[in-house]
Amino acid sequence: MPLEISISVQAEGFDPGAEYNLLRSENYSDGATTMFVGTVRDFSPADAAALEPVEQKTVAVLELEHYPGMAESALTDIARRAAERWPLGRVRIVHRYGPLAAGEEIVFVGTTSAHRQASLDACAFIMDFLKSRAPFWKKEIAAGAEDGSWVEARASDQDALKKW
Amino acid sequence: MIKVLFFASLREQLERDVMEVEPEGLADVAQLRSKLAGQGAVWQRALGNDQLQVALNQKLSTMDAAICDGDEVAFFPPVTGG
Repeated sequence: MPLEISISVQAEGFDPGAEYNLLRSENYSDGATTMFVGTVRDFSPADAAALEPVEQKTVAVLELEHYPGMAESALTDIARRAAERWPLGRVRIVHRYGPLAAGEEIVFVGTTSAHRQASLDACAFIMDFLKSRAPFWKKEIAAGAEDGSWVEARASDQDALKKW
Repeated sequence: MIKVLFFASLREQLERDVMEVEPEGLADVAQLRSKLAGQGAVWQRALGNDQLQVALNQKLSTMDAAICDGDEVAFFPPVTGG
């Protein structure tokens, strides 16, 4: 099928099942659909890296800031780059902003292709580039706290681009 | 005028998200950054970070990118989306 790219940057939640249906709707040439759904965790990456497990749940809300306008164009650019590398049918990216509670979905990437490997690789490629190239910033806020701390970019996210 | 935007921790440090700067004498992003950093200790600290990223007219850019009147320049820390 001809390439279709769809991008949404939104405060509202999304339904991964409905997104799947849209990726598949009247799409009979792509045998492969890959979806990635990112969800807000209730602990900080810093806790995960600690030697001792942290019992206390440290994150109640994740505040997502974005650069309106540039966020949409950056996601579109990343989707186009993926479509230049792999024979994709549909590419769908949803990224949320604003306050998100632990357990809420934050990001969706869906790709379809005639080929399984192309669909899987393109989805991973988009997530890796989104981490380092899309203008979104996360702030973790603990339960009961008024303000939180900004999540620092990780070198591992930058390193992840090297495999592409 | 050059529209300058700040995001995330930078926005909080500088207590502003947008400002306008006269383009005269500013040939590239680096010169804009130096001019802003010269406004005081807080500015120096916020914009002196070697991790600082920049977007020119809503595209990721580099400090040596040329700028002119009417451009939109955004400064921000490394992104953490996804």
